[in-house]
Amino acid sequence: MAFDTTDILLSVLKIAIILGLWLNVTPIMVWVERRGSALIQDRPGPNRVGPFGLLQSFADALKFIMKEDIVPAQAHKWLYTLAPTFGLLPALTTIAVVPWGRGFLIPEMSLFGRRLFEGGRWFEPVIANVGAGILVIFALASLGVYGITIAGWSSANKYSMFGAIRASAQMISYELSLTLAAVSALLVAGSLRLTDVVAHQTGYFILFDTIKLPAWNIFSPGMWLSFIVFSVSAFAETNRLPFDFAEAEAELVAGYHTEYSSMKFALFFMAEYMAMATMSAVVTTLYLGGWDIPWYNEPPTFLGFLLSFLAFLVKVGILMFIFVWVRWTIPRLKYDILMRIGWKVFLPMAIVNIVIVAAFIAAGWL
Amino acid sequence: MEFAIFFLFAAVAVIFALVVVLHRNPVVGALSLVASFFALAVMYVLLEAPFLAALQVIVYAGAIMVLFLFVIMLLNLQHVAEPVTRPVQQFLGYTTSAFFGIGLVYYLSKYAVFNALPEGPFHADARTIGIKLFESYVFPFEMVSILLLAAIVGALTLSAKSVGRPGASESGAEAR
Repeated sequence: MAFDTTDILLSVLKIAIILGLWLNVTPIMVWVERRGSALIQDRPGPNRVGPFGLLQSFADALKFIMKEDIVPAQAHKWLYTLAPTFGLLPALTTIAVVPWGRGFLIPEMSLFGRRLFEGGRWFEPVIANVGAGILVIFALASLGVYGITIAGWSSANKYSMFGAIRASAQMISYELSLTLAAVSALLVAGSLRLTDVVAHQTGYFILFDTIKLPAWNIFSPGMWLSFIVFSVSAFAETNRLPFDFAEAEAELVAGYHTEYSSMKFALFFMAEYMAMATMSAVVTTLYLGGWDIPWYNEPPTFLGFLLSFLAFLVKVGILMFIFVWVRWTIPRLKYDILMRIGWKVFLPMAIVNIVIVAAFIAAGWL
Repeated sequence: MEFAIFFLFAAVAVIFALVVVLHRNPVVGALSLVASFFALAVMYVLLEAPFLAALQVIVYAGAIMVLFLFVIMLLNLQHVAEPVTRPVQQFLGYTTSAFFGIGLVYYLSKYAVFNALPEGPFHADARTIGIKLFESYVFPFEMVSILLLAAIVGALTLSAKSVGRPGASESGAEAR
């Protein structure tokens, strides 16, 4: 592989854009969560700090920084300190393989009379367009549960320990169905590369020769089972409310992060919201057409890129609001229900869906 | 550049592998195994096989999570330094593994052929591996699946003592 300075600069630019966005997800989503829960529970919510309480997140951040950082005497010091970083790592890295806009050709540019590169450069809005694509997401996401387990174990607290055991048992039960559900979407695209998965969804389905539907995976009947399995498993993957057994504040004080305070706790908090954003981006990419704008053919220019990027952000935003909506609507399930659903309902559903999609492909319908 | 990355991660893999063996705490051992496998995955990336790298992390890191569960649940984690109770066995263990290690290095340095890689593009993507696995190696592949099935059935027979006994809590919950 040959790199030149332009490629490296473009990569740095992409990383800066996405990292900037993803770090800002937490304060924005904390505000959305608080105001959203208030909306759903018919109360005003935080409205003192700034207009509509918009600066509440900054007040929260300040509070986190000022708090005392406590390490319990019985805790395993090294692992106790490392655990929040383990939690944050997959949340920050998995987004690298998700495409977030339509590629476009950068025209020849010159700076201070010096030509930067010859004859234009193709800009693909994805940080790492690797062939293993979605497997990288699953690989790094599977490390996320270590953050929770290590945190729970190293705290030397029985409630934290219960949270850790629940997190690992939970992970074993949903992860297989999550992965198998994604297989259907990959089968249709014929590739693990997420840019191919999105490119495959940019056309139209034409119903009865009149109705044009965007060729998103969610509109094809062969995908509905896998969409349901994947999106419900996504809640388990991000430890969000119907499945937040590792935290379960009504039963386990605060679960795996009972002993954590100050910025270490804030890191868990950030990891949760960033994982939510990443899972929303993955669901968007696999089922909702990625950056595709329905009934509009984006031109391969800078404008087309901006519009498609906006469409991607809107879709991710809607999904994240659904995460909040579900949290304040559905109560926590019993701990063994997820295991039963994962093994006895979702796993067969995902496998059946793979067979359906494979049959559709063999019949030439997809 | 590639060389520096290789040696860095080779060192990481070896050091963490040593921690797995030498550290007293089983949880730290399991975690070091994860780190070691992760460094190994970087080797696959350096060999331009990101697919294998991803599989390495998914399969092994996921499997270690189960190990983790066993460590946490089955071993009582009181921090008691265990005294050396079997000096003869310990001595035998150390010497045997030392001889094995020396023999392995000797054998490798004498008989292994360090050829250049074959010319032409190197394919290790999902398609190539899938076709190889389901055409040339389909028999061993199916054999492995039977082996795993046998292991699962064995584990179930050993652990599920309460199945079929009246009044057992598990079957009671299932009946509802």
